[in-house]
Amino acid sequence: MNQFLRSLTPTQQVAALFLIVFGLLAIVSATAFFLTFRERRNPVHDAAWQAELAHFRALLGTTWFMVIIFWIGWALGETVATVLFALISFFALREFITLSPTRRGDHRSLILAFFVVLPIQFWLVATARFDLFTVFIPVYVFLAIPVASALADDPSQFLERNAKLQWGIMVCVYGMSHVPALLLLSFPGYEGKSAFLVFFLVFVVQTSVLVQHLISRRMQRTPFAPNVSRSFNWTSWGIGIVVASLVGALFSFITPFRFGQALAVSVIACIAGSMGHLVMKALKRDRGIPNWGQKGVGVTGANGLLDRVDALCFAAPIFFHSIRWYFNA
Amino acid sequence: MLAKLTGWLLLGIVRLLTGAQARWYGCPPKAEQRIYFANHQSHADLVMIWAALPEELRSITRPIAARDYWANTPVKRWITTEVFNAVYVERQAAPAATASPAPVAVEAPPPAPAARAVAPSPAERIEPSMEPLLPLTTPEPPAETVPEAQGRLDLPEPPAPPPPSAEPEAPPVAAAPAPDPLAPLVEALRSGDSIIIFPEGTRGHTGEPQKFKSGLYTLATMFPEVVLVPAWIDNVQRVMPKGEIVPVPILCSVTFGAPIRVEEGEERRPFLDRARAAVIALRDV
Repeated sequence: MNQFLRSLTPTQQVAALFLIVFGLLAIVSATAFFLTFRERRNPVHDAAWQAELAHFRALLGTTWFMVIIFWIGWALGETVATVLFALISFFALREFITLSPTRRGDHRSLILAFFVVLPIQFWLVATARFDLFTVFIPVYVFLAIPVASALADDPSQFLERNAKLQWGIMVCVYGMSHVPALLLLSFPGYEGKSAFLVFFLVFVVQTSVLVQHLISRRMQRTPFAPNVSRSFNWTSWGIGIVVASLVGALFSFITPFRFGQALAVSVIACIAGSMGHLVMKALKRDRGIPNWGQKGVGVTGANGLLDRVDALCFAAPIFFHSIRWYFNA
Repeated sequence: MLAKLTGWLLLGIVRLLTGAQARWYGCPPKAEQRIYFANHQSHADLVMIWAALPEELRSITRPIAARDYWANTPVKRWITTEVFNAVYVERQAAPAATASPAPVAVEAPPPAPAARAVAPSPAERIEPSMEPLLPLTTPEPPAETVPEAQGRLDLPEPPAPPPPSAEPEAPPVAAAPAPDPLAPLVEALRSGDSIIIFPEGTRGHTGEPQKFKSGLYTLATMFPEVVLVPAWIDNVQRVMPKGEIVPVPILCSVTFGAPIRVEEGEERRPFLDRARAAVIALRDV
């Protein structure tokens, strides 16, 4: 099996990976579909169980959607993949801005953020200008946005408004742009397989978040920071990190790393991702919403995209810069 | 053909920028004849609610567009007539009429911005004919109802029997004369289309909608079988504040609520207040 996989070209290997993922998803989806026909004897349990199943199927739907997006992105090449991530970043920033109150005077800065900063950042990624791409937002944009705000002649809550906008750009644009940037890293002997690196990062980070979520549901520990998150505690956090890192290490064969290295970068990515998730939870709590747009919560029509990608937004830059620094890629 | 393509393109842009999500609370999207009435905060409200309706309803629903804004360039006129299939109303008539008696009568604050925008050309044309007629209608109804009654309905019919308080006689009279601002709406409803109206008349600048103008009541009594659906359009003013030309991507939604109707013998003002309350209630759904 291993021999066979190694004999394939990189393209075929990636294709095989997608085939496996699609196959697994198809099996799980089919099972979930047939389970909907099952009836429990106790009607109360039945209702609860059906609700849980419906929730699970909704999650599956999201997963399908993401995997298909990834697949299209990979099949059509790096440029299309970058454009796709730019779109995701656009939607995430849209959601972020919707839920943080802005004033009339922020209009120009917002235009700048959406229609100038975001395209330039992703264009820098697509053209692999790594030196500029890492400093463009923290240096140039962060000094330019307050200027645009100041010119709008509205001093009330100036620092707060600017901080919100900059934070939104940092998380949604800067963080997200590091995901497609992974496609452009070059490791010796790893040409054409960078798609695996993206898959590796997304997979490991999502695993850690998911495991942490499931564990904290099973074990009713006292939350560490109950005002921010009712589910976060160090035990489930630790288990999530360990499980996801081990999974990452087991997948080291699809990365340019050795077992130990894969374990280390997984730990880094998982810590960054889960902490980022916590930070975004604090932000949501501040806005008085449990979710970035659960149905019936906000009138905004936000669809919770940010909920799905916030861990990735924090993990990607740290993952990217640490491996670029260590491996000189 | 071109109109259809433009429609799709516009729909794509609106969805990309705002999501244009429709939330149906209280009634399903259904192809019955309806009057949607919504809050009005931006010229883009029209586009939002058009984009939020499902494809099937969009073709039978005609939004109301203020002629002074939506018909002042050929492009806008083409888009409103061909793509939105809108019904033009003369917005000048409303504020001008309100504005002219305002100093004399009661209502001063609301029409200020609109009156300013309107003042130059058409207002002068209408005012002279209005001024002498006003006293004829005004004596008996309480002063409070006067401006808002003129707002939409009463301008053309001063010679007719006293309209503001009596509802049954009003409709047939109102439908007939040509310069009636409601006439295009009546015509659209007669032909079986649904319509979208903004009963505030002008755009508000605060979160609270202004008082509703009486046009809604008139239409409701004139067409009792048409379903009245309240709608709350959220966030549009953030997308494109007054005076800006580039929209910012911010999620918006249109919430449709449970239909209301004019109760037996319900007066104009209580009904309008109830309708306004129904719209406001959707803000927090």
